[in-house]
Amino acid sequence: MTARDRILSAIRATLGPGKPANEIAVEAALLLEPVDTARPALVAPALPDAFAQKAAAIGTTIDRVSGMAGVPQAAARYLKAHGLPPRLAMQPTPELSALDWAGITPSPQIAPDEPAALGLALWGIAESGSLVIHSGPGNPILMSFLPLHHIVVLREATLLPYLEDYAARLSPQQVPRNAILITGPSGTTDIEGSYVRGAHGPGFLHVILVSGAG
Amino acid sequence: MTARFKDRVAAALADPVLKLAIDRTTGNAERKRAAAVADFPQFGAARARGQAIKDHVIAHLDHYLEMFERNATARGTQVHWAADDAEARAIVTNICLAANARRVTRSKSMLGEEIGLPHALADAGIERVETDLAEHIIQLAGEHPSHIIWPAMHRTREQVAELFKTAHQPPPAAEDPATMVQSARRVLREKFLSADVGISGANFLIADTGATCTVTNEGNAELTTTPPRIHIVTAGIEKLVPSTAHAFALLRLLVRSATGGEMTQYTTFHAGPRRTGDADGPEEMHIVLVDNGRTKMLANEFRDMLRCIRCGACMNHCVVYRQIGGHAYGGTYPGPMGSVLTPVLDGLAISRDLPNACTMNGRCAEVCPVGIPLPTLLRAWRRRSWREGLEPAPVRAGIGLWAQFARRPRLYRLATRLGLRVLRLFGRSGWISRLPLARGWTDYRDMPRPAAKSFMDQYRAEQRARK
Repeated sequence: MTARDRILSAIRATLGPGKPANEIAVEAALLLEPVDTARPALVAPALPDAFAQKAAAIGTTIDRVSGMAGVPQAAARYLKAHGLPPRLAMQPTPELSALDWAGITPSPQIAPDEPAALGLALWGIAESGSLVIHSGPGNPILMSFLPLHHIVVLREATLLPYLEDYAARLSPQQVPRNAILITGPSGTTDIEGSYVRGAHGPGFLHVILVSGAG
Repeated sequence: MTARFKDRVAAALADPVLKLAIDRTTGNAERKRAAAVADFPQFGAARARGQAIKDHVIAHLDHYLEMFERNATARGTQVHWAADDAEARAIVTNICLAANARRVTRSKSMLGEEIGLPHALADAGIERVETDLAEHIIQLAGEHPSHIIWPAMHRTREQVAELFKTAHQPPPAAEDPATMVQSARRVLREKFLSADVGISGANFLIADTGATCTVTNEGNAELTTTPPRIHIVTAGIEKLVPSTAHAFALLRLLVRSATGGEMTQYTTFHAGPRRTGDADGPEEMHIVLVDNGRTKMLANEFRDMLRCIRCGACMNHCVVYRQIGGHAYGGTYPGPMGSVLTPVLDGLAISRDLPNACTMNGRCAEVCPVGIPLPTLLRAWRRRSWREGLEPAPVRAGIGLWAQFARRPRLYRLATRLGLRVLRLFGRSGWISRLPLARGWTDYRDMPRPAAKSFMDQYRAEQRARK
């Protein structure tokens, strides 16, 4: 008997005959109802405000701009404020490369010790101040983990209230290879419980929160 | 490590540095968890829901395992099954050897410790690089984790600095945590990018997507799982949840209970190897589903323990853990949850002291985010130990003698009265700090001087006065 058979038959010997799959599915769905009684309330009525408050509380910095056209300037402001050269590793996605990057040199490659990289979040989650990224041709995962400064563009239109709202947007049969919720800069409390940023991932997380359609 | 629990405890209690280190981390954890729970008025409802989700999965475990296997396979993940730790070690090392792996990076996983993966890799001649900062520290020190969330919490910054001075080239310039973290970042960065295999654990296995879910704060997990050619996940079969939404319901409990945060910095879902056009990611993904005693727990009185989501709150709030630390327990998992699990994993004969090293104050059950009745489970081990004749002769004789008195109420009361008089002689100052035949107690703590009269005598006097 294979290990698989041994494990499954040991379980079945204890649990007895199982229920039909559709009944189990109904039971599982009911476990999450009503959803509001078991999750925290949002900290502000407007999603951008709620997101910004939660993100700031965990050490993410926020720059709110109007329209995607304002992104390159916001990125340049950030680099200058941190004394960084006007260079960025940039996620190779059309929404970002289509912008006018005059004054900044974006690169689709990322070095192991890259000072700064810029990416685009698919969604933001107001409940927790989290950013969602998915792997794919337009998004190397290392782009979000190698740099010391990680700058993420987030459109207000893609803000979701709760974690469940993100889960609802995933089709179970079409989940990405790698989905990551980023909630604040990398940190550790492994030495005497004392909090230090930038353990392995970015020590700085900066969100450019973009309002409007453009 | 010394073989006897009593000796390990004595050594731990005699170490003032250890006590300081434990107090710093667990004290912080306790305060932060309390604040996080106070900030989440729905915590009680969330806990009831979390418990119900875990119970539901355990009641249909075969269904969810097969569902997960089907969906993970559809995403291109190779699913392996291991009935015990030896099978799990063999599967992982064989994957590494077949790939001619020279260097393996590992992101912290308690299951990996449970199945003895670190040793197995060393025995197979494969370089193992622990990438979680705490695991890096204990790898350098040649130790085991002393806590499931903060594995190196028993070491002070000075002790960490000592290790890094020899192991890091160039050595860190200062002994403050920030400088040492920077040093580890620099040293490990190069290892991440040159590893052949990355091994991680999983906090949840999502049945309807076939994805694994792992939570970390440092970012080492993504750097462990993305660059190498092969990604291996080892996970216990109890980690299943029906869907991503169910995982989120449990995450709200897990993170608050573990660190007092609301979300870890990185919540990562993996579903299969690199896809066509993907910019990075491993070429192969394997998952090893490990039983190692879990189907036995399903069938016996320890089934509730399968709900455990490994947050560590029980140990942070345990008066015993906070005195002796994690290593004294001698198993993979310390504290209250470890005292329930170690007898399952290592056998009751060598771990019967653990369920006895509990004051039954119930704090662990109070803070458990999935309502595991830990004291009840510990009592169940005590009963088994008695039934199986594992208690040593003096204990059996002592309890037998006590039972002789307890079955004869008059004699028992007489003995109590005498006992009280004798005890009061030893506690003239209000506390008893030395007692013949009870040094095991009085060496480490004082006992309050007992009342002049027993409860029964006081009760009777009261009844008489009322008449």
